[in-house]
Formats: sequence, structure tokens, C-alpha cells
Amino acid sequence: MSQRDHRHDLEQIARDAGVRAHVHAVRLSEPTEPLGLAADVEVAIASVYKLPLALVWADLVEAGELDPAEPLRLAAGARMPGPTGIAVLQDDVTMTQRDLIRLMLTISDNAAGDAIFGRIRSGRIHHRLTQLGLPAALVRQSSAEETRAILRDTESADRPAALRALADPDHPTYTSQYDPAYSSAATPDQLTAVLRILWSRAGRAHDLVRAAMARQAWRHRIGSGFPHDDVTIFGKTGSLGSLRHEAAVVHFPHEYPIAVAVLTQAVRPEQHLPRVDAAIGELARRAVTPLRMPDTPRPTPPARRS
Amino acid sequence: MAIVSGMDLLRHLRFFVAVADSRHFGDAARDLAMTQPPLSQGVRKLERHLGVRLFDRDSRGVRITPAGQALLPLSRDLLRLAIALQDQAAELLVSHQVRLGVATDLDHLTDAVVRVLAGTGDGVVPTVGGSVELADLLRDGLLDLAVVRHPGIIDGLTAGTVLVLPTRLEGPSGSDSLAACSLPIAVPPRHHQPPAHDQFIDALRRAGHSGSVVEAPDATQRRALLAAGNTAEIVPAPRGAVHDPALPPLRVRVIAPHPNHRRPEIDHDRATQALEQALTR
Repeated sequence: MSQRDHRHDLEQIARDAGVRAHVHAVRLSEPTEPLGLAADVEVAIASVYKLPLALVWADLVEAGELDPAEPLRLAAGARMPGPTGIAVLQDDVTMTQRDLIRLMLTISDNAAGDAIFGRIRSGRIHHRLTQLGLPAALVRQSSAEETRAILRDTESADRPAALRALADPDHPTYTSQYDPAYSSAATPDQLTAVLRILWSRAGRAHDLVRAAMARQAWRHRIGSGFPHDDVTIFGKTGSLGSLRHEAAVVHFPHEYPIAVAVLTQAVRPEQHLPRVDAAIGELARRAVTPLRMPDTPRPTPPARRS
Repeated sequence: MAIVSGMDLLRHLRFFVAVADSRHFGDAARDLAMTQPPLSQGVRKLERHLGVRLFDRDSRGVRITPAGQALLPLSRDLLRLAIALQDQAAELLVSHQVRLGVATDLDHLTDAVVRVLAGTGDGVVPTVGGSVELADLLRDGLLDLAVVRHPGIIDGLTAGTVLVLPTRLEGPSGSDSLAACSLPIAVPPRHHQPPAHDQFIDALRRAGHSGSVVEAPDATQRRALLAAGNTAEIVPAPRGAVHDPALPPLRVRVIAPHPNHRRPEIDHDRATQALEQALTR
């Protein structure tokens, strides 16, 4: 199947699911012919920013600039409420950097992300991203800033109300957080580049990040395309209003890992669209399958005696 | 010598060719749907203009001269080219009629939508089809405006406001509630606008219906299924009718090409406004 046929396939799936889709997949081995759909188009990535943030954190830990065991205090009054983790709690929390990273990646805890973002500070994050050859826009802002923006744009009192406003089927509602110029933003191929760097690192902090990604609490997006218990998905999702994303490494046993990013924006505004989540899995499967390759040469069968 | 204008030259050449073909002034005049005197006069003017005699006229009738014979092929060429010129110009003639796409989902509202544009300005050429297909036609420049189901992918196009139209349940046993309706609902095919179709089915289930549907390509087929008692249907409620708010509404919007790709002969904004008014009145 040619690149063009693949693109057509991916377009059909996206069209059927009612989404604009941007896809990129690449095998994490020697350079390969990557596969994608609008892979160089920049889009707002919502919580996927926590993936490049985790890479920056692990690099700085390995460089000795951060102490992963340092406890951080997240005072209840200073936290922006969010949908999961510490962000839903009522009382003060003190937690080490590495455990915050685990919560930030496994359940996309906004409070944990904000704490790590605040500890490193944006200047140092952007500097490190630039050193890696990545755009600073990957981590333009924290989750708290994203939440403040949607509250402002929808004139809502809290995050659930803002999300309800964005989900109104009768009144299309816009937020600056759909705009890559005002949010953390990336192209799909930049996100697979982040994964490639992360997979090239041998540090313990990088191990911790990869292990946390493998324990992500949900497997309804890219994971739904690989319903196999022996296939590991190291993923990070991002969701905001009509945006549904995931970047992941898909690892079949005895094969090279494959990085894939699927970024979508649905034309339906509702908060729950299982069909779109499943389409993300289907898009990932179609993009990954042609790139699969054994990582060890097959044993040559013994020569037959005639 | 009379001055013959270009238009006269072509007209007189038609006379010349007609007489040459029929070898008879009377027959030629009849073929040209005119009387004989102006035909004879025209041929004489042409002879004077060209400075050669084209026909010999005597008691036995009309004979073409060697000079006339020589000029006949070029005369035919000129006439053929003149016709070709007019044909091409006709093709280039710009129509001011609005090429309007109407989604199959609109049912009886189609009349109101088409009439509002037919009644004003330069008229309308309607095309009824699935919303995805209509959006593609707009992108290809083959339509000026379309009323399509919302939501759908409209990349590269502009869209008016989302119009939420109340609906009515039509079934064999009168106006049951959707939750009590055990029949499948006849709907346009999913491929006409997949996201809107999926949203509609989610709404059916939310209201207590099974969500089972029968996809029928057009309104006539849906009518027939309804008449057979095989399906129920959810159609736009007539103006002023009491409607059940539990029923999923019909969401539509008027879409147009990107402003840079619009035909300047069409007032898109005014037509959009008229369509939106016709749909919500």
C-alpha cells in the first residue's frame, strides 16, 4: 500500500468519525519512512504538554539540576481544581517530585503538572526544549493557565461549567485554547520526536517516566486499537472540549517500539464521544501496523538435508 | 458603393449560402423564414460590396457564377466561425441564479427554503443531496450556498449560525412519545452526515428509544416505510405546531464557500439571511 493509500485510509476513518485528524507514526529504530496525515500541522495539544514536560524533568534530574526526592508542598488554597488526582482533593498535600510526575502521567493530574511546571519554571523548560531541537510552544503554559483561559472565554465560574459551555450542541462555543497560538501546541511529528528522545535515554528518571506512561489509567484511545494484553502502550492523552489527543509508544513483544501521535478535533461538541476515542485507536492501528518489524533477526532454519 | 458593416456582411453571407444551396431565391427565402425581396436586395448588396457577381439570373432560374463558387467555401467557414463564437459566448454567459444545495433531511422545509430564493432576485437552481456531498460541491465551486445538517466537517467553508429546528414524531399510532415508540426510525443514510447521524442516535437512546434506525435514501422512501407501518419518522414540526421537547431537534446551518472563492454575482450574505429566516419563521 502506498503512502497515498494510507493517507486516504486515515482520512476516511477521520471523516467517518467526524473529526479533523493529525497523525504521525514512526518506528523507534533506524530512520524509517514515517507514516502520517497532516503530520506537520500545529494544533493545540491540551494535557499532552505533560509529556514533553516529563522529558524535560527527567533530563534535568539526570543532569543533577533537580532532586526527584525533593518534597513539594501543594497548598489547597493555591491549587487550581481539576478533574483528577490532587486537583480534586480538599486539603494540603506534600509530595515528592517523582510521585508528582507519576500522578501527572498516570491520571493527568493537573495540580501535579502545575507543581512540576512551577518548580522548573517556564524559562528553564523552554531553554531545555530548545536545546533538544524542539519548539518551546510544546509547553507554553501550565494546566492552571489553560483552566483560567477557558473560564474567561466561556464566562464560567468553574471548570465543569466551562466544559459544559464548550459542549453545548446548539451554540458552538469557542475558546482560545483551541488555537495553537494561545496554548501548548505541537505537530504530531514533534510529539513522536519527543517520544524518540525519551526512548533514547538510559537514565533512571527516564525509566520512571516511561513506567508511569505504561500505567496510564485509561486505554480507550490509542490503546483501543491494540486490544492485546501483551502489547504495552506508553501513552499520554490530552482532552479539552472538542480536542481529543494521545501520543504513545506502542510496543509489541520482540518488535521495535513504534511512536505514534493522534491529534483530533471533533465537529460534535459533546464531552463523551466513545466513537471518536475508538477512531483514535483505529487511526493509530492503521498508522502503526505497516511499520511493525521484529527487533531480532529470525533464527535461520537449519539447512535441509536432501 | 454601399458600406456594408460586419454584421450585414455575415447576414448577407447567410443569404448567399442559402441561395447557393437551394438554387432558388423563393426556396432560400422560405428556409431563412423571410420574404424574397429583402433576400434579393441583400444578395445584390453583397455583390456590390465584394465587386463580383455571385449568381447568373435568367428565365431558367439561378446559377452560381465561377466567382460565387470560389467564394462559397470561405463564406461557409465565416458563418461556422460566427456560430462557434456565439456558442462560446453563451457558455461564458454568467448566470445570476443561486446554485443552492439542500440536505435531504429538510423534508417538507425544502419548499420554503427553495421558494424564498426563487421569489427574490434572479432565481435559484436547487440540488438535493447528502450534506457531505453538498459540502464537497461547494468546495469544488459547483454550488453557491447549501443548507446542511449540523454538525459536520465544513473545513474550508464558512457557516452561518446553527439553527435548532423543533421536530415532531410521526408514527402509525399518532403522536406517541419516543420512549413508547417501539418502531425503528426512518432516517437519511449515515454517510450523508456521519457526526449528525451519530448525534441523532445518541439522542434517541437518551430519550428512551432503542436507537434502531432504518437508513432510507430519500424522503419518498421514508414516507413509504412510514405508510407501511414499518418505521416511525422524526420530521421538522410544522410552523406553530406543538412539539415535544424530548424529541431530538434537527440542527442545520447555511454554508458557503470561503469569501475568496465566491461568485461575485451572488449576494451570499443576503441569501443566507433569507434562508435562515425561511427556516426559522
